[in-house]
Amino acid sequence: MKALMSLGALIGVAGLLLLGGMTFGVIPSTTVRLVEGYMPIQLLLEIASYVIGFTGLSYMLSAMGMALPRFWQGIGFWIFLMLYLKFRVYPPIPFSVRAMYGTVGLVTVFMWVSANEEDWKKFKQPIMNVLDAQTGMNRLLRYVYLVLIPILIGGFSFNAMMPKSEEPIELRTVHPAPPASTKVHGKTYTLQTSQNPYRVNPEGKYDQEYSNANIVEQGMGRLMKPNANPWDEKNQGYLKYVREGGEIFFQNCHFCHGDNLNGRGLHAFAFNPIPANFTDPGTIAQLQETFIFWRVSKGGIGLPNEGFPWASVMPPWEQHLTVDEIWKVVLFEYWHTGYYPRTWD
Amino acid sequence: MKDSITQKAGIITAVAFGVVLVSTAGYSTVSAQGLPEGFKKGELAAEPSAEMIEAGKRVYFTKCVWCHGVDGAGDGPGADRLWPRPRNFNQGTFKIRHTASGELPLFDAKKPIPGQNDLFETVTHGLPGSAMPPWEGILSEEQRQQVLSFVTTQLVKDRKFTDKQSESQTVLQLADLKPKPATDESKKRGGELIVEKKCVECHGMEGRGDGNAFNLKDDWGFSIQPANWHKCWNFRGSRQDPYSVSNIFRTFSTGVNGTPMPSFADNTTVDERWDIANFVNSLCERDPLGNPLPIDPLTDKPKINFVIPSDMVEGEIPTDLEHEAWKKAPRRYVAMGGQITHKPRNFVNRLDDIWVRSLYNDKHIVYLLEWDDRTKSVAEGKLPWAPTQVNIDVKEQDPKTGEEGSIAAHQNNYAVYNDAIAIETAVKWKELPAPIKPRYLFGTNEQFPVDIVKWEADGSLRAFKGTGWDKDFEERDNYEEAMKLLKAEWKNGRWYVMIQRPVGNKKDQDYDEDTFFEVGQYIPTVFFAWDGHNGDAGRKMAVSAFYYTFMNPPVPQETYIYPVVIAVGVVLLEGWILTRRSNRKKGKAL
Repeated sequence: MKALMSLGALIGVAGLLLLGGMTFGVIPSTTVRLVEGYMPIQLLLEIASYVIGFTGLSYMLSAMGMALPRFWQGIGFWIFLMLYLKFRVYPPIPFSVRAMYGTVGLVTVFMWVSANEEDWKKFKQPIMNVLDAQTGMNRLLRYVYLVLIPILIGGFSFNAMMPKSEEPIELRTVHPAPPASTKVHGKTYTLQTSQNPYRVNPEGKYDQEYSNANIVEQGMGRLMKPNANPWDEKNQGYLKYVREGGEIFFQNCHFCHGDNLNGRGLHAFAFNPIPANFTDPGTIAQLQETFIFWRVSKGGIGLPNEGFPWASVMPPWEQHLTVDEIWKVVLFEYWHTGYYPRTWD
Repeated sequence: MKDSITQKAGIITAVAFGVVLVSTAGYSTVSAQGLPEGFKKGELAAEPSAEMIEAGKRVYFTKCVWCHGVDGAGDGPGADRLWPRPRNFNQGTFKIRHTASGELPLFDAKKPIPGQNDLFETVTHGLPGSAMPPWEGILSEEQRQQVLSFVTTQLVKDRKFTDKQSESQTVLQLADLKPKPATDESKKRGGELIVEKKCVECHGMEGRGDGNAFNLKDDWGFSIQPANWHKCWNFRGSRQDPYSVSNIFRTFSTGVNGTPMPSFADNTTVDERWDIANFVNSLCERDPLGNPLPIDPLTDKPKINFVIPSDMVEGEIPTDLEHEAWKKAPRRYVAMGGQITHKPRNFVNRLDDIWVRSLYNDKHIVYLLEWDDRTKSVAEGKLPWAPTQVNIDVKEQDPKTGEEGSIAAHQNNYAVYNDAIAIETAVKWKELPAPIKPRYLFGTNEQFPVDIVKWEADGSLRAFKGTGWDKDFEERDNYEEAMKLLKAEWKNGRWYVMIQRPVGNKKDQDYDEDTFFEVGQYIPTVFFAWDGHNGDAGRKMAVSAFYYTFMNPPVPQETYIYPVVIAVGVVLLEGWILTRRSNRKKGKAL
């Protein structure tokens, strides 16, 4: 038990030093990198190891006779959480979201310290001690608090009222509801019933199963299946069209959506909102092929009213590409990310 | 077979001679073994295994082939619209190396160690400033090594990484060389050396890459431009640590193969190279306190703040850049991307950022715009389009590289138009639905137009009204007199333009056509920029995202009153709690 706990304590100390060092720039902030695509799970794991670390730490401290009162444990953990959210998580989350997490964290800490009557008593004991001011130390503390709290709160409100020029927060609909049908190059496509004409097997028949069997493999790298090279000249059907779609993608789309379809293209850094990341399971993996067809054809300018702020520079590609080319690009995007388009059934 | 080998050897010898000729132009600092200072002889790495090569082929044909092409000749489908172009692997010419000029880069399929594997680092971190992205986090280390095994054995055709007869490795011992502290003295010496070593001939007097912007060509005959030392985040090989002197030191020591940038290893001492690196590094853009700009780890460019604050000045707004008010005004980095929405599209964008400052007084607001442009361009002929025209019918699909009229052939060879800059602001932005932004490019409709102010290098300052994405502009002649060009100067590769316009009031201006600037409000602002030597005109331009102009208000009185009231309230609350607690205790004691 003791060995286990000291291991935990070691994790806790190391983690705190690492985080502190990275926050204050003592050690390079890239020492522990956030790996793209695995960020949420990585952060959860990190927090979990901190919790383990703290458990070990508090156990070791109390074993050494320097037990930290429950009161400070609770406050300390909450402060740690807030600092972690502010300095560790990247890209930075806005204050309003952090405030939400902070509230949840506070409630959690409260639940923890008030799990039973005894714990709750232990927790509020220091507060009561200061209020009662039985000892000289506590009396001093009481006066310090009496003066400090109004000054702090006054200071905070002064700070909050000073005119600031922080960027206003904008919310935006990521996937606005599509129309029932869309007219591209003079032809009307019903979004519910349309199919990608290039999702076909070598015999030329629409074949979802065949195409799904030939997309890239999920997992690191998302590489093509060994026997499904779109650059093989003998290809017929699906893979041939994937290659044609890729050629169009790399002449038109990669400038923003990136070589790896992750929204990190050559020009992407200049735009806000940043271009869509197709490798994210929240984008094309959630949508029907026809939805993509509609968004590509009509671009940012074709967004419905609820799709504001319309800051999208996505062009209506119908001005640059034919219907066939758009379908092929859509086909390529699903191939390259290894996602199956959603279907209606 | 034999013939081709002798031929290749011949080419290599010729190249080597060329290098020697270039590099021995100055005096020579050669160590006892005949190697330049800071270098050591290295060993060629063993050939990667057949499995590695086969696995790498799969990576290559999933990720790389689209730009680098089936045969690795840098001619994939994406290549024709890229500049700088994707690498042609066939000749084995690679830019970022620790090896001496002309040599193959370090690559060992078994050693993915930074500093000992140049190609691995290039793939891991990409090449900032070009279309090559970092593959870290996308491909595993092993996959990166696999694809390099494929490229170095199958696609590098003219040379062989394992051929001891023709190849050698002279490795810069960067890890053992300690950077010299960047003292003023060192930087001063570096500043003198870059003149002495003729760096300024290409990189320009201020290092903005404007020295010889037209005539430089790479090994394949494509136009190429010298680096701008003020944008260190665009230095190849600098990802995530752009303010590192070591990167500059390495480039300077080994040269950039395939380009006119030679190695200076033979005619400078290590000490001199550190001085130069310190000087070059000191030029990179920094914040007002002289600290490096914070770099966004997702884009590897400076972090963006979308609010452009404007400070108030009493009386006339100064036109002198050295004036204290301008020195104190916060400077914002505005990132620019190519306009690829509407024809003619700007795939090759050469203006990737501008710097904006702003001041205002009771009548006017002034924008100071600074941006690096290697060439001052004033139109030689007539513009192909009227400045109001946005729907232009142009044949746009450029032919393949090598054919007449391709992007590659055009580069640095366009008809010259005016350099220009424009500021688009929303009209009646207060009435726009949340979040008070009009449609991004050129306004929403007749009801919610945008107000565009455009300066061109011929000295004109014009105002337009945009009423929609595909609507021609309307020129607003009556507004033009209200504006004033306070400054327009091009110096050593940088434009300085200062534009003054009214803040707007209902008496003198038209509420339905002009943007009214209000103190303490977020006014949506977009910037457009044109590089005349890049053939930019009309919609072929660089665009920014939406920024906000924010005129900093004077501090209102309430700011000082309310916090005091709140603090007093807290004191009262404290008194109440304490009284209650002590009463309760007394009650208990009784």
